[in-house]
Amino acid sequence: MKNKKQSITQKRPATKAEEPKNKVGRRLPWGIITGVAFFVLAWVWASWWMGDVLRIAYERSFFAADATLMYWLAQKSFGWLWIAGRALLTLYHWPVVGGLLVALLLTAGTWLTSYCLRLRGGWRCLSYLPAGAWLWWTAHVGLNLFYKSEPGRILAAPALYAAIAGVLALALKLSRKKANAQAATAWHWAAAELIIAVGCFALSAWHLQDRHPYLRPLTRMQVQLLHEDYAGMSATAHEHADICNRFVSGYYALALARTGQLADRLFDIRLEFDSIPTMGYDGKHNHCINYHVIDCDYHAGLYRASRHYAMEEMTLDGPSLYTLKYLTKIALIDGDWKLARKYFGVLKRVPFEGDFISRFEPMVGHAELVAADPEFSAVIAMAPERHSFEQFYLKPGFLGYYANLQTFKNKDALIWSTMACLYAKRMPDFLQRCGKFIDESLPRSIAEGLTIAAVKEPGILKAFPQLEMQMNAYELFVKEAMPYMQDREQGAEVLFEKYKGYYPYYYFFGNLHNTRKPGDDEQEHNRAGVN
Amino acid sequence: MKRSSFFITTTLFIAVLAMSSCSGRPKSVPTAFTDVTDSAMIFPDYRDVTIPPNIAPMNIKVSDDGATEFVVEIGSLVAGATADGKTDIDSTAWRQLLEQNKGKDIAVHVYAHRPAGWVRFLPYTLHVAEEPIDGFLSYRLIEPGYELYRQLGLYQRNLSNFDEAVIYENNRSFSDKDNHCVNCHNFQNYSTDRMLFHVRAAHGGTVIIEGNEAHKIAIKHDSIIAAGVYPSWHPTQALVAFSTNSTGQVFHMFHKEKIEVLDMASDLLLYDVEKNSVRHILRSSDALETFPCWAPDGSRLYYCSARCNEARADSLILRTVAKYDSLLYDIYSIPFDAATRTFGEPRLEVDASASGHSTSVPRISPDGKYLLYTQGDYGQFHIWHHSADLWVKRLANSDSYPLTAANSAEAESFHSWSSNGRWIAFASRRLDAAYSRVFIAYFDRDGRAHKAFLLPQRDPDFNTMLLKSFNVPELTKDAVKISTEKLNHIVYDTEAELASYEE
Repeated sequence: MKNKKQSITQKRPATKAEEPKNKVGRRLPWGIITGVAFFVLAWVWASWWMGDVLRIAYERSFFAADATLMYWLAQKSFGWLWIAGRALLTLYHWPVVGGLLVALLLTAGTWLTSYCLRLRGGWRCLSYLPAGAWLWWTAHVGLNLFYKSEPGRILAAPALYAAIAGVLALALKLSRKKANAQAATAWHWAAAELIIAVGCFALSAWHLQDRHPYLRPLTRMQVQLLHEDYAGMSATAHEHADICNRFVSGYYALALARTGQLADRLFDIRLEFDSIPTMGYDGKHNHCINYHVIDCDYHAGLYRASRHYAMEEMTLDGPSLYTLKYLTKIALIDGDWKLARKYFGVLKRVPFEGDFISRFEPMVGHAELVAADPEFSAVIAMAPERHSFEQFYLKPGFLGYYANLQTFKNKDALIWSTMACLYAKRMPDFLQRCGKFIDESLPRSIAEGLTIAAVKEPGILKAFPQLEMQMNAYELFVKEAMPYMQDREQGAEVLFEKYKGYYPYYYFFGNLHNTRKPGDDEQEHNRAGVN
Repeated sequence: MKRSSFFITTTLFIAVLAMSSCSGRPKSVPTAFTDVTDSAMIFPDYRDVTIPPNIAPMNIKVSDDGATEFVVEIGSLVAGATADGKTDIDSTAWRQLLEQNKGKDIAVHVYAHRPAGWVRFLPYTLHVAEEPIDGFLSYRLIEPGYELYRQLGLYQRNLSNFDEAVIYENNRSFSDKDNHCVNCHNFQNYSTDRMLFHVRAAHGGTVIIEGNEAHKIAIKHDSIIAAGVYPSWHPTQALVAFSTNSTGQVFHMFHKEKIEVLDMASDLLLYDVEKNSVRHILRSSDALETFPCWAPDGSRLYYCSARCNEARADSLILRTVAKYDSLLYDIYSIPFDAATRTFGEPRLEVDASASGHSTSVPRISPDGKYLLYTQGDYGQFHIWHHSADLWVKRLANSDSYPLTAANSAEAESFHSWSSNGRWIAFASRRLDAAYSRVFIAYFDRDGRAHKAFLLPQRDPDFNTMLLKSFNVPELTKDAVKISTEKLNHIVYDTEAELASYEE
């Protein structure tokens, strides 16, 4: 029966309207295949390649189902659009789901563009341009996707694009008197489309790696911190040992401190204190110096300093999940139950934050539960126990603060402080602390630091006889390093692989880009005394 | 318009959630119910408070586990509440209710619909005072941050309804070159005919407003510590007393308080609006004078002063190391002759330091009988101190006592009298110890403050959701006359006129 029908069809010459339909019947649906391929690529890109970046963008964003909470944003120009973008970004609570949304928006936008413009054959490649432009933009702005910029615009752009294209397509569909049969896509044009699509993603990925190589490792570490995966943070830093700035340094040190490896592994990566060039709200360059301070201060036990900066960040940038969660946790540590209740009330209006609330809200009013929580107990263990002011600590956060400690609450505080001195290459302060290690086994980096000092002060070898073994290694290093003392940049490159992790290498060749550039005092611009 | 767009977006996004709160509000009191011996859990706590007859509807949120509907019966007025327990009291019926009950008590019954049926909680009362409160309340809204600012403004609330007008707002969209802070709004004698506020950083100066006109001035001179800070308009003359302060702040790492705001140096100035000139009232190297406030007849100037053991501290760290908690401020007054514009000898009014305490923000009642101030353990920036409470001194017999019924365990400060002296509005951090809110208390003829109530809002959750603090609430009889646009022009487009200094 089927064969008979086909034979009848073959006898009658096809009309113009029927011709493409028949072609479709004979050919593979290349248009659909390229569409599916683009969708899959977009999903992989948005959930894996950019998954951590956009997950952190979600944390730095804020959307709540409450008019009072969102009024500050609603009153701005295009506020409703940014709110919609932030609402969509909440799906990045799960990057796979957020990625799915992005893939749907980009695919729908692309397909609808093609439909609206009636693109055929090779012209269909043009339909990928808007998506490609968006991909390029996300790679180009890097950290400024969400830092000192409106996070709502990330997804507002593709959503608006898809919505406008959808409305136009619907209008065209209704206005066209007769359905215009879609011409089937020839395989070679489909291949061209696929190449364009792959090219868009590849170009975006390349541009991101070229312009912001630190961005994915940095946000990866931040996501790992959210999951309290300190070993993972350390592994990420090692994996990208040659891409370092003050933020990667800070998060790496934090991970090591949490896993008890600070004194043994801090110098395993190329530690740099360099800042990241970013743009401020006003389009001017700044160097993003405080990006990690809230995290690092908190985990270093300086939760009051963390609170201070979280509050200032909320003042400048508006509320974010990131700052609100920290303010909530610090309120719990401080026993500010009423304040914690307020913040939980706010967070309850944020979609998908039930896990955070269910873990921490039962602690309100129960100091014993706060003390028993592993995260809080680790923070409290390192918190100052004597009265002091934040101004007495060095900025910026984490290790820098500890360099000024004179009294030590416990062994960990002593080690952190000693390592802070090594990190800052403050040898007199380092030696002052080393006195407390006499007759104790020396952690690796502290022993290596002492070898440098022992060359000038042989008395150190008497106090630490176990250093004798280290001196030969140090002499060998000095011999190899000597030619590069006049060109330390080159020495840092040449010697890194062999000597990474060895403190004398860091002392002479590490952290050469400890720069303080114009604009580093980004917050100073706004200071005018007391509010 | 933008706000309504937001609602649409939000509603679409959380359509499922919104569905749950779409049930109607009950319109009548349940006919069958069971009386329970518990008090209803309501927010704000308006239980047994004294209220002005012209105050906006005092909406509440009732909480009761398992209850699905609520009814609040306020005298003859019935206010239904949805499942979330929030009332939205009809403003016309509310006004009529208060008018009919001036000087009387109104009983409030709260009903909740539990699975087993309606229950009625123990009633409470609202006492409606005879005396109204001034119609308008001005305040600044800003995050309770410490040093930084971005979007903030001065606003004016109509106390008889929920209308809030912008007096002046800084940048909604950030611009580094235009970024500025505004603070210390102050009015002459409860009127908006003469007022001022400061602009700090970009476009800085003090904006002086007279009726519908304004101009910007700058107080700057080698012999003046800094610009004018805490202001007080003379009640009748075109004169303003300012403190001038060199202020800094330090952050505690391990302490019950979070922050200390300290003056390294401070003096008092007198600014003549008509002559655009300024001169010192008090200038001393061993005392810190601040928070000036005129008596209602303008014959005395009250202020706070602390003795410093050391000379002026050149740095914040020096002051901090030199025992921030040993700075104790007393209240003094100094006579003023308006005809000659001269000041006499200072007189000690409140000797708080003798008992190891410290005072700030003196404010004299309109009848001149009471001195209202904040007392804390030390220092002068009491809004950050848990110990800060409102105190009052009876000027006739020198009795000083705390306003116990109005105070809380958290900070109270920056208080303002109503023009009839029967109400005080003040900032308090009692809700959460961080975000200050405006509370209002009745001050009776015996000099006692009654239990304070939270400034009513259309949505009771507003006070818990808002992530900004209310600063420096000031009562006025009328609304600010000058337009926001005009103030924008003054701030952005005009240069500050430098005040001349008189030796």
